[in-house]
Amino acid sequence: VIGESTVARVLDTRKSRFLLAGLVLGHLVIISQQVEGGSGARLLEQTVFAFLSPFQRLAGGAVAGVSGTWRGYVDLRRVHAESQDLQERVRVLEMQLQETQEQVREAERLREIAGVKPLLPLDTVVARVIATDGLPWFRNITIDRGQMDGVALNAPVISAHGVVGRVIAVGPQAARVQILLDKSSGVGVRIERSRITGVVTGRAGYGDAAGGDLDLMYVPVLADVVVGDVVVTSGLDRVHPRGMMVGRVRSVKSGSGLFKEILVAPSARFESLEEVMVVRVPARDQRLTRALRPEPSPKPR
Amino acid sequence: MITFFWTAAALFAALLVQTVLSLVLPGYARLFDPFLLVLVYCGLTGGASRAMLAGAAAGWVQDVHFGGPVLGLSGLTKVLVGFGVGAGSTRFHLAEPGARVLVLVLATAMDALIFNWLAAVFDVSAYALSPGGLLVRAVTNAGIGILVFETIDRRLRQPARRDL
Repeated sequence: VIGESTVARVLDTRKSRFLLAGLVLGHLVIISQQVEGGSGARLLEQTVFAFLSPFQRLAGGAVAGVSGTWRGYVDLRRVHAESQDLQERVRVLEMQLQETQEQVREAERLREIAGVKPLLPLDTVVARVIATDGLPWFRNITIDRGQMDGVALNAPVISAHGVVGRVIAVGPQAARVQILLDKSSGVGVRIERSRITGVVTGRAGYGDAAGGDLDLMYVPVLADVVVGDVVVTSGLDRVHPRGMMVGRVRSVKSGSGLFKEILVAPSARFESLEEVMVVRVPARDQRLTRALRPEPSPKPR
Repeated sequence: MITFFWTAAALFAALLVQTVLSLVLPGYARLFDPFLLVLVYCGLTGGASRAMLAGAAAGWVQDVHFGGPVLGLSGLTKVLVGFGVGAGSTRFHLAEPGARVLVLVLATAMDALIFNWLAAVFDVSAYALSPGGLLVRAVTNAGIGILVFETIDRRLRQPARRDL
């Protein structure tokens, strides 16, 4: 005799299996489309991101508010001493500023003589970090600026200390940024001293490891690279503007193949990122194109 | 409908918890997965179908907000974990705290293993957890999970006792 509960359990099991097959098949199709280079899930991604990111903004804002109030209270005692130190530093910096302004004026004069167009400052928008990596497999941050602020897909993201990464998903009021430490990130770089080019990518060891270094790849074994060399963006990846600080060479080893094994310590402080700048228009190797394009009628001096 | 509402609310809460944790304890938030707790609870109380649907939704929210370049990997991972938990809950008696702790530990391990396997299959560059990291993640999920599950169960049982 087959009981009613047994029938229900069989039906439920069958339903579960059909559901499992449907869900697995659906996911496989969506993932395969993306792997092949399509964008099968982008509409769904944008919808979910647009719907839920405002709440993330709220949570991020609340955390920033509470921590800001606490920090303000704790720091109150140190304010007076710091204020005096800062005033001293301002005096020193004002002197340095005067020297720098003189150098800028000199550079402008020389540029005019050479007939090269001046470098425009990058159009950036400041964004607050509202979430960092929630999964051990990837290294991402979420920022509180999106399409409404002119943030576009693949826009470079920088901080006061160096390159942070690039935008990989954009919502109306938020965006997700893949930072340099991610295993699938890649930035075209150059050794500032020897002008050797390469590509850096994330190398944090395990997903639960804090911090991490960058791998500098495709540098020939005979290339001139030493520990302490400054690594800057080359602009050859057509995403990041040229000449931005990426980090310093931490170790150099002769690899077993054609390339050296180089570790780079990133200059951006990924563990304590609070604010970043997003470059509004991705630079297309701005310096190179401008340098190769002389002024139509250079002013005679 | 009520179940759907509470599952959605739990996923929403998981997103907020993960967001706040990532800001308050940067670097350590990756050792706790509140989305996994939602799907395990759904599997323990509602069977495989509910766990798979909750898992798919949880995975997609994770993919969109914290995931990598390919969407759906966490979604598929959590569907499979949900099926495992749901199927186990219909065959074994998993109402005791000890059994639930074991389920949470196994679900965390399954989640990590299946995700890394899928990432390798689809050629997606992703970090793996160290054995120590996996253990810490499993213990954290189990510890927090059992507290949350017991609290929810106690709240659900209270009206029934009053009726008696």
